[in-house]
Parts: sequence; structure tokens; C-alpha cells
Amino acid sequence: MIETEARTQVASHTARLNAVFAALADPTRRAIIERLSRGEARVTDVAEPFPMSLNAVSKHIRVLEESGMVERHRKGRDHILSINARSLDEVDGWIERTRLYWEERLDAMERLLGDLNQDKTLGPKDRRHGPR
Amino acid sequence: MDRDDMTGPIVQVRRRMRAGAEQIFDLWTKPELMVRWMSPFPGAVDCKASCDPRPGGAFSLVMSSEGSIREVSGVYVLVDRPRKLVFTWIGPLTNHVTTLVTVELNPLGDETDVVLTHERLPTQAMHEGHTRGWGIILDHLAEVVSHDV
Repeated sequence: MIETEARTQVASHTARLNAVFAALADPTRRAIIERLSRGEARVTDVAEPFPMSLNAVSKHIRVLEESGMVERHRKGRDHILSINARSLDEVDGWIERTRLYWEERLDAMERLLGDLNQDKTLGPKDRRHGPR
Repeated sequence: MDRDDMTGPIVQVRRRMRAGAEQIFDLWTKPELMVRWMSPFPGAVDCKASCDPRPGGAFSLVMSSEGSIREVSGVYVLVDRPRKLVFTWIGPLTNHVTTLVTVELNPLGDETDVVLTHERLPTQAMHEGHTRGWGIILDHLAEVVSHDV
């Protein structure tokens, strides 16, 4: 039971992360996120700087809402958008895991280079490691 | 995330290594050498690699240790021995979504400056890649690559 639950969590996390990356792949949406990272704002204010219709910007905002990165609430007649900080933490998580993965691989590569080049100077008879 | 409009999130790792660019390039492109450093498992690992290092050629790594298996695969986009290697990368770390890895090797005397860039691709290109085959995605990647130079 617990295992199934964990697997479901991983699957939904994966789906959410993919939605976040898909949302971030577009320059307009990145600009919207950048705007909102400076503080919450009305939909009309967010749309204002873009050379496209309010309708077109609204579509981008909808993608961001579906990805969970942006949240909307009402203040009187205004629709206010704000960033869901947790979704950005997930992006940071991917970046951190990927960085760690490659740092470790490059450490291993350096160790291998050390072994290979030591083998070269010692000659085949003095190899520290046999062939694998 | 500050890069041009074509790309999404990006990771860059830089390392100066005590070896020539030719030798490092071999570690990336020869299966018998890839298996000796690519595995994320500590200790005894059964690692199988295959690769066909030319644009459009594929590589694959299957690494197993004590019941866990990791598979990574991809397609070479640019092979410029010994300076630059660009390939797609699909594996557990990428949620099985296609990503792009660029390895640049810049000689500095006896050493080599290794710059590795791992990035998510624009989803539009990925959808086109899935529906219309690899030609489209490789064209797109080549565009990203030339943009990058």
C-alpha cells in the first residue's frame, strides 16, 4: 500500500515537473514569471508590456496556472496573479540533482584519467589494475 | 534561464582536467571507456555501452548493480573531435524526457577546460520530434547549437 502511494507520488511529481518545464520553455511565460517574481499583480498589468492581445497573454497565463507555477485569486473585481514558490523549488531540485550527477561523473572521469595516465608512464607490466 | 529564447532551464558544470582534449573526447565516445566512468553506482557494476559517434548516430548505456538498473540513451547532434560533442540525453534524471548535453573541450597547455552544459529543450521541438521523426528535432538542435557558438 505504502509503496503504491509512493509510486503515485513520484508519478505525479514527474508529471508536475514536466508541466513546469513545458511552461518555462516559452519566452513570454518566462517573462510573466519574472514579472510575478517581483510581486503579485493584476492580470491586466501583467499583460500590458506584451505586444500581443490580452487574450493571447491569458492563454500563456492559463498554461502557467495549469503547471501550478502561478496562482490566481480575486480582489474585488480584479484577478490577481502570484507565484507559487514551491513549484520553483522543484525546478531548482532538478537543476541541483543534475549538477550533482555531472559533478560526480566528472570526478569519476578524473580518477579514470589519473589511472590511465599512470598506467601509461609505468608501462603495462606495472599496471595497478588489471583489465576489467 | 537568462539565455536566448530557444532554451529552458540549464545546468553548467566546468572542470579543468589534467589530460589532453583527444583523450577526454575518447572517454566520451568509446564504449569500453564510457563504461569506466559513466555509472552512478558505487562498487561493482555491470555496465554496457554502445555508441555510434556521428550526427544522427545513437548511444546507449545500461548500468546495473544489485538489482537496480539505470538506462541512458541519446542521439549525437554534433561530433567535432576533439573540441565539441553535442547529444540528446534521455534517462531517469530527465524524467525520460529528451534533454540536450553539450561537452566543450578547450585545451590549456597540458590541461583541458571541460565545460558541460545540460539543458531542457523547448517542448514544441520535442512534440515535433515525436510526431514527425528525428529529422525535425535534429534540425532544431543543430539550430540551437549554431546559435550557441
